[in-house]
Amino acid sequence: MADLRLENVSKRFGDVQVINGVDFAAKHGEFVVFVGPSGCGKSTLLRLITGLEETGGGRIFIGGADVTGMKPSKRGVAMVFQSYALFPHMTVEDNIGFGLRLAKLPKEEIGRRVAEAARILQIEDLLERKPRQLSGGQRQRVAIGRSIIRDPKVFLFDEPLSNLDAALRVQMRLEIARLHKRLGATMIYVTHDQTEAMTLADRIVVINRGRIEQVGSPIDLYDHPANRFVSGFIGSPAMNFIDVNEHGPENCTSLGAGSASIELDGCQVAGATAIGIRPEHLELAGPEEGDFPATVEIIEKLGAESLVYLQFDGSDLPLTMRTSPEHPLCAGETVHVRFNKDRIHFFDRDGKILNRP
Amino acid sequence: MVDAAAIDRPLRDFNPWPAVIVVCLVCLAVLFLAPTLGVLLSSVKTTRDIAFGELWTIPDTLFLGNFGEVIANPAVHRYILNTILVTVPATAASIALGVFAGYVFSKLPFRGSDVLFLILVSGMFFPPQVILIPLFRLFNTMGLIDTLWPIIIVHTALGIPICTLLMRNFFATVPNALREAAILEGANEWQVLMRVALPLSLPAIAVLATLQFTWIWNDFLWPLIFTNSDEKRTIMIGIVNLKGQYSVAWGVQGALSLIASIPTLIVFLFFQRYFIKGMTMGAVKG
Repeated sequence: MADLRLENVSKRFGDVQVINGVDFAAKHGEFVVFVGPSGCGKSTLLRLITGLEETGGGRIFIGGADVTGMKPSKRGVAMVFQSYALFPHMTVEDNIGFGLRLAKLPKEEIGRRVAEAARILQIEDLLERKPRQLSGGQRQRVAIGRSIIRDPKVFLFDEPLSNLDAALRVQMRLEIARLHKRLGATMIYVTHDQTEAMTLADRIVVINRGRIEQVGSPIDLYDHPANRFVSGFIGSPAMNFIDVNEHGPENCTSLGAGSASIELDGCQVAGATAIGIRPEHLELAGPEEGDFPATVEIIEKLGAESLVYLQFDGSDLPLTMRTSPEHPLCAGETVHVRFNKDRIHFFDRDGKILNRP
Repeated sequence: MVDAAAIDRPLRDFNPWPAVIVVCLVCLAVLFLAPTLGVLLSSVKTTRDIAFGELWTIPDTLFLGNFGEVIANPAVHRYILNTILVTVPATAASIALGVFAGYVFSKLPFRGSDVLFLILVSGMFFPPQVILIPLFRLFNTMGLIDTLWPIIIVHTALGIPICTLLMRNFFATVPNALREAAILEGANEWQVLMRVALPLSLPAIAVLATLQFTWIWNDFLWPLIFTNSDEKRTIMIGIVNLKGQYSVAWGVQGALSLIASIPTLIVFLFFQRYFIKGMTMGAVKG
């Protein structure tokens, strides 16, 4: 069983604590995505798993064996780099077979396995080419080929799609998902793109400042974030946050919006200092049913839906609302907006969630 | 009116600097090529013609006797052999050491490696005159005077700073991800260097090979200091040795000078495509 387990793993660069006591386990065959903002330590965590960086503390287990002090090549991991890291002076065939040649496998065996990897990735025609003669997507396939040929226990991907254009990224994302289905191997994938995380992952690990904020399935993280950081990071466009007024009427949440305030009757959680609401949980209403009036600032028409950027009257607090494209809105227009009160998230002073909508 | 303005513009915008630069470069080129031309002309003339002061005239007939004399001279064979015995190992050794040191300074830095690198590179700034007497005494004590060893050792040592500097800067342009990818595939540092970093640094090695080979082949000072007998002289000392007691055989010296410059020319022509690439490397990232 090629599961991966991290026990209290930490790493320090000089005075900076980059990874802060991380505990995590991935089951065999699971596709786990590490996601977080730039500099949060997700790539460092991946490098600790590969052994390219030494751990400052804690232990790493792969397939039940402690690999903490082991050489990178002995850990049974393969990594796909952000920059592909193909050897420019070698052909595609030599790039893919590099590790097997180092291991001094028979030529026939190497040839057979290279051909098999090339077939899986549909790059049979490119084997004689040098990396500079390949497109970005083809290079990425070769890099994946180099990793699958060694039949590793755990595949590691370090932002592998970030150098590709948007269309190719979507295509490669699908191919990686297919590859995972086909190989059934444990895969750890690092990205800062939460769309990639949501679409690929069995489970997402949200990392911030070297700590794990939350681990869960994509939908679980989206619907039930543990704190304000996860709420804001997962979901695009991001969740709207509004501060709660300290002294509001009873049995009512009073939201501060500059000089104005919004009263949400029959909806209150003790200790809440802020609320969060996803763009699809704001809806247009008539003047009587609406919770507040707002001015339409910008409309982004995406075809299947429209994103409406609103501004409270009397404040500069921005709000994003997801609507159907049928609504005939135009910029500058005043609309009335209603909260879906069942889907409001309440946060305390530390950003911790107080309810489970 | 519009046409007149268009015609006037080139005159108004005339920039004299390119022309000045071209004239300066032509003057410099003539200055540098004149001695070569003098040597070439003297090598195809008889001693009598040269003695009559006709050095700079184009000869009516090509006299190849000087070349014949040089090629048939067994002393010249020895000079060439000695020079090869010095140049090839010293060039190879200095480049090899520069490659190893450059790789460590670039890819495997350790505490104090930057300071060590600066100390090493500062070796380039010592004029040979400063170390000449101590080195002579050292090799004399070791009993190596009048052998080729001191020349090989000194040229290897003097080549290390420039080789290390160039190789370190070149290896710095080789992405770390390539090294890491190779290590993950099971390579050790030696294999990373030999199979990944070195094949990518052929331009830098070509530059170093050309520079070191030319510099060591053409060196006059160190063979003069460390060797006494004619059997151990290198080609540059040999050219001087060809003069007679009362006269200078200009034609023969000219012919030997030309023959002596052939190996450096071959090395340059062999490496030139890498050389040009190497000279511009690092200027643009990518």
